[in-house]
Amino acid sequence: MAAATSSPRTEQLSRLQRWGKTVRIIFESRVATVGLMMVLFWFLLGFISLVWTPYRPNFSDFEQNLRPNSTNWLGTDHLGRDILSRLMAGTQVILLKTRLPGDFPILGGKAIPGGVALWGVFGSLTLGSVLGLNAGYRSGWWDQIIMQLLDALIAFPQIVLYLVVIAALGQGDLVVILAITVTGAPGVARLVRSLTLDIKTRDYIRAAETRGESVWFIMFREILPNIRGPLLVDSMLRVGYAIFAIGTLGFLGIGLPPPDPDWGNMVNDARRNIFFNQWAVIPPSLAIATLVIGLNLFADGLREEINRYQK
Amino acid sequence: MARFLVRSVISTIVTMLLVSIALFGLIEVGSGDITVKILGIESTAEQRASYRAQLGLDQSAALRYIGWLVGNDWLVRGRVGHKLVTVKNPQTGEDQWWADVDGQLTRWRMRSGELYALLRQENGSSVEVLANDGWQLDPETGTEFFWGVNDNNSAVKWVRGAGERVWVRTSAGFRQQGDGPQQYIPLRKGILRGDPGLALQTGRPVAVTLIPRIRNTAVLAGVAFIVVMPLALVLGILAGVNEGKPLDRVISVGGLAATATPEFVTGIFLILVLGIWLKEIWPGSPFKAVALFTSPDAIFRDPTLLLLPVLTLTAVELGYVARMTRASMVEVMDSAYIRTAIIKGMPYRRVVLRHAIRNALMAPITIIMLHVNWLVGGVVVVEVIFGYPGLGKYIYDSAIFGDFNAIEAAAMVTVFIAVVTRLIGDLAYTLLNPRLRYT
Repeated sequence: MAAATSSPRTEQLSRLQRWGKTVRIIFESRVATVGLMMVLFWFLLGFISLVWTPYRPNFSDFEQNLRPNSTNWLGTDHLGRDILSRLMAGTQVILLKTRLPGDFPILGGKAIPGGVALWGVFGSLTLGSVLGLNAGYRSGWWDQIIMQLLDALIAFPQIVLYLVVIAALGQGDLVVILAITVTGAPGVARLVRSLTLDIKTRDYIRAAETRGESVWFIMFREILPNIRGPLLVDSMLRVGYAIFAIGTLGFLGIGLPPPDPDWGNMVNDARRNIFFNQWAVIPPSLAIATLVIGLNLFADGLREEINRYQK
Repeated sequence: MARFLVRSVISTIVTMLLVSIALFGLIEVGSGDITVKILGIESTAEQRASYRAQLGLDQSAALRYIGWLVGNDWLVRGRVGHKLVTVKNPQTGEDQWWADVDGQLTRWRMRSGELYALLRQENGSSVEVLANDGWQLDPETGTEFFWGVNDNNSAVKWVRGAGERVWVRTSAGFRQQGDGPQQYIPLRKGILRGDPGLALQTGRPVAVTLIPRIRNTAVLAGVAFIVVMPLALVLGILAGVNEGKPLDRVISVGGLAATATPEFVTGIFLILVLGIWLKEIWPGSPFKAVALFTSPDAIFRDPTLLLLPVLTLTAVELGYVARMTRASMVEVMDSAYIRTAIIKGMPYRRVVLRHAIRNALMAPITIIMLHVNWLVGGVVVVEVIFGYPGLGKYIYDSAIFGDFNAIEAAAMVTVFIAVVTRLIGDLAYTLLNPRLRYT
């Protein structure tokens, strides 16, 4: 009885210790700390915007093209909307919520937690892991066929793929998630495959095979947990790419649909009015840049620190 | 090595085929009714249906894919009964399709229920003669029909006495005509034979517009490349040699920031700072906030138009290449033979210049080759920001319009560039690094 109660406790402790170790690694690297701060800043603004923004982000309550002043700290856009409020609300679609289309089963017309960038990366991680594990572990024909398909996907310039997918399926949060999933999956799959090829030769895999475990068990319970470290660092970078891509799509006018403000779209609108109001382009541009740079710094610092740790 | 080469070439070809099928399928699924976009939303269902038939969209997708890939003249030849050839139109320089009837180039036309043959003359004009003896009897329905080439580069089937009312798009507008064909098959040579079809938006051959666009993009990318490469390599080597020192930190973090900033943000900041604010201080500055490209070769008349696009592209690529070079330099500087060279008392400068650089530059050069399609994305955005008449803008415009012939052709060009540079990168890597073994 005592053993039964103590064993989860020790596990919890060790998990807590592991957690602490990870946090220490992050803060040991100055680059990673700065990156994490930048990312957390935007998450914080996003959460605040869920309950409070200075003004209503989607209403033309003010005069058009105002410069930054005491009422509108960052000025107003070409329709007289407060830029600070829109900037804050703009984090939501990227990081905090995904709007489902009206005809979606059960949750139709509602928003689910987790932004478009996060779901997109989750999608590419899932698809990429399944493909990469199969290619790496089964090898042979599986490997040949999967890698050939992925080569074809990689050969597609991403922007062309985005343009074609969105031209084909129309605008929408789910379409953008799909586009990010499809463009991200080949990279994840290649990484997972190379890691799998390494893990495959270990003794515990041989042991699992001897036990007669199924292929899927070995792939997902034996291999996947052992490659999650590099995969997580990679997915940090991927969130950055996804935000980059969402911004670009918004800028091209084919990104996330209105009414929610989208940073890329804000930049595009402000660009059209750049001769009347130079101040409107700066905040959304800086927002995208800092968030992506933050994620990159975080991932970079983390990777460097982990490498040093392992040495 | 030879086996590796053959395998990569075959894999490249398979990749291109897969991509073309995927692209065709995607556009097929999603392009919607293109005729609404061409004819406008006021057009009637009858007009759209007639125009769809004229575009050959009533054929099956597989047939259209084959026509797109390798052409359909050899498929249609059996129906027309003559060899189909293309001749340059002396006025426009564009290809026209003719049937080669025993050496006489011929097309057909139906007017007032009568079939006329247009016989092409040496000077490009044609002579019209009555050709009613060409009708063939359809034993099943008892009607007379004729397969020929019309004056709009399609193989068409006329039925005698049952001229269809069709809507024809002419330079004067969209009008109704009698005596129309029952079925159309637009003739094309296929992309493999150098004919990507007609752009639906303009009605002109895609190839005619695509070539100056590719040239413009090549100029943009080429100039950016010439600016970026030496600069990035020098910065990368400097950072790599000084690993961990402040100079390295500045270059690495600056490079990361430049790469992680989306192209459109960089471009807009450059417009703002150099195009607008600088202009207020220095009215004669060569940077133009608004660049008007009045003709496809405007950049050759006024090279200052290139300044901002090239700078934007440079800012984006510079950081990437510099970071690659730095990583590779750091790795080389850590290696045993460099340590040996330093320990044996060789001057540090000489170790770096003679021993390290040559090995360090191998990786970035091949990695850049492998990432050309990543750069294509940057080019599209930069071209859209500045309205630059290049391939990227063309892809964007055609995707927005849904002009499938244009998207397919332009996208295949980018895919081709990406795949071929990757192949070259792979080969370069094996040649530069003889330690690699391929099985």
